[in-house]
Amino acid sequence: MTATHEKPEATMTGTQPETVQMNLIQAVTQALREELARDERVVLFGEDVGARGGVFLATQGLQSEFGAKRVFDTPLSEASIVGAAVGMAVRGMRPVAEIQFADYMGPGFDQIISQAAKIRYRSGGQFSAPLVIRTPSGGGVKGGHHHSQSPESYFTHTPGLKVVMPSTPYDAKGLLKAAIRSDDPVIYFEPKRLYRAAKGEVPTGDYIVELGKGVIRRAGTDLTLIGYGGVMPDVERAAEALAASGVQAEVIDLRSLVPWDKHLVLESVARTGRALLISEAPRISNFMGEVAYTVQREAFDALLAPVGQVAGFDTPYPYVQDKTYLPGVNRILREAAQLLSY
Amino acid sequence: MIQPFTTEPIRRIGDDGTPIGDATPQHSPDALRALWRDMLRAREFDKKLVTLLRQGRTTFYAQASGMEATQVGIARGMRAKHDWIWPYYRDQGIGLALGIPIRDLVSQCLGSNNDLNKGRQMPHHFGDARFNFMSISSSIANQVAPAAGTAMAQKYLGTDEITICTFGDGATSEGDWHAGMNMAAVNGAPCLFICENNQWAISVPVHAQTASENIHIKARAYGMPGYYVDGNDVIAVQEVVQHVADRVRRGEGPALIECLTYRVGSHSNADADAEKFYRTRDEVEAWTSRDPIRRFEAYLDHLGQGIEADERAQLIQDTHAEIEAAVREADASGFPDWRIMFDDVYSDTPTHLRDQFELVRAEQEA
Ligand SMILES: Cc1ncc(C[n+]2csc(CCOP(=O)(O)OP(=O)(O)O)c2C)c(N)n1
Repeated sequence: MTATHEKPEATMTGTQPETVQMNLIQAVTQALREELARDERVVLFGEDVGARGGVFLATQGLQSEFGAKRVFDTPLSEASIVGAAVGMAVRGMRPVAEIQFADYMGPGFDQIISQAAKIRYRSGGQFSAPLVIRTPSGGGVKGGHHHSQSPESYFTHTPGLKVVMPSTPYDAKGLLKAAIRSDDPVIYFEPKRLYRAAKGEVPTGDYIVELGKGVIRRAGTDLTLIGYGGVMPDVERAAEALAASGVQAEVIDLRSLVPWDKHLVLESVARTGRALLISEAPRISNFMGEVAYTVQREAFDALLAPVGQVAGFDTPYPYVQDKTYLPGVNRILREAAQLLSY
Repeated sequence: MIQPFTTEPIRRIGDDGTPIGDATPQHSPDALRALWRDMLRAREFDKKLVTLLRQGRTTFYAQASGMEATQVGIARGMRAKHDWIWPYYRDQGIGLALGIPIRDLVSQCLGSNNDLNKGRQMPHHFGDARFNFMSISSSIANQVAPAAGTAMAQKYLGTDEITICTFGDGATSEGDWHAGMNMAAVNGAPCLFICENNQWAISVPVHAQTASENIHIKARAYGMPGYYVDGNDVIAVQEVVQHVADRVRRGEGPALIECLTYRVGSHSNADADAEKFYRTRDEVEAWTSRDPIRRFEAYLDHLGQGIEADERAQLIQDTHAEIEAAVREADASGFPDWRIMFDDVYSDTPTHLRDQFELVRAEQEA
């Protein structure tokens, strides 16, 4: 990690300074375990989360540790998983529901956008639905279109939901704990290709990463690269390659999409004059379109080049061309070169 | 007479191969051989594809071993290339028995240039218009309402086709399942819904999936008959499917059949060791001892039409050779390049996709 990487201690609320190396999915499990232990209103459920421990094994061992009353399997129905989470949350619990793949949020979509997102508003603040929906998303695992999509924009487009996506084990734990403690419904996307690939130091004690705060992963002066989730390792690799050719790129990991850290982005672009937005979701109506709009509207005077974007293509996610579909280092570098020579 | 809502599954062959009752249909020796052949080919297909998976030649495979009688019985109970089918992802046995060539199934699993679906879908998600075999969706139960629609079209257009829609027991919990059943029923659509109840939805057993006593009684709520069949008895499955399909074809509205069977292997390669997490070895062994192929072979023995060891060995060898040839053919056809990403997204190629196509072309040529 680079010098500006957020130090674990910086956001610690507990007192234990120890950290342990782990991967992203282990960090998710640890967050769930700690929250289950901390607050008995927290329950976990979804398809296969109990005995099996989830298809990716994120909840492995939690049922035997906390019992089937706290960690349980449901019938195969995303509508009832999300709908039940809404009802439980309204009645004072803190449900954490797992949707097996983000691609399968479809059958639960109406419950997410019509119920979870709107309860607080439509009841004049009398009711709320503090729930978390965890779901693996994104490509790079040879899953074809039904196991690789990045549907975050459907949810960022719906007022009332908070949307987050970590890219490091540290953030995975801290953001998930913050999500569970949030009084709003939070959609927590887990970039599945980083489950085991992303490793890092994670504090063994309690801490949160505040929702809505991005982080500077690498400081730079010539260009700001902005991404989130599964693309982050490639974004950092691209920044290293740029550094080797004398260009200092600043790297921002948004971590939260709603709310998103507008000020962190604007301050950075004000310094570098160039913004390149990277995500793997299809380009049309991509959440990064909102970031691009904001940068051109609020940092126009600082811009030395148009805002650049690298996104997925506007095609369903293809099986055989899995790697070509994803942005990747080269595509980021080519777009960066365009901005730098503008 | 085949009755709906029986308390026990309808059976024609006992566990030891003896015929049950006197209603056993009169199959010609050739027709019986064909059922056996289809089941064994499906079993061997599973074995070979699991090998290809282990070799890294394909990345996903969902076995149907143990479910051959259900799948072959369904295929042989419908009219191939005439009736339509909206299958689910574990239906390779139906595809094979309908006559989809092994080369096409293998090509799809390898995602080669001769894959009819152009390498776009995940392996094991077939689709073959020549057989009215709809392209498979991974999303559980979202084929059910479309199947109702296909059947509504068949009625509207005045065809004598029907639509078969298959799914697992887990699928019956999804909202789409209920919506599709209801839609077909109120429209009197010629749709035959078939649950391949293999008793597990990944790690969730059927009794934790539904509090209903079984699946077929759910039909009552939608105003259609529900039939309960021993899914490890190919004669019973074929006979019930044929009988109910005729009824559906006559315009008497949709129906539900539940085939009680068992998935012997793992759910998919993603949970290679099912026993470790959620099933008991005893349960698996109890069902393995009810193997549909062995039961049928015992039945053929009983009829004096037994299979000789070398006939069996020959069929296995031929099936393996056919699969190996299909793999060679797939390799020889090559693998789709980046261009396949941009075709078939729409019926034409809009300008934004042409721009994205050019971007990748420039990358590839650089
Ligand atoms: C809408 C949706 N949710 C979840 C999944 C993940 N998933 C794939 S297969 C499966 C179990 C399906 O069980 P069942 O319908 O009984 O069919 P079986 O696999 O047992 O043949 C699940 C939960 C999915 N594919 N689609």
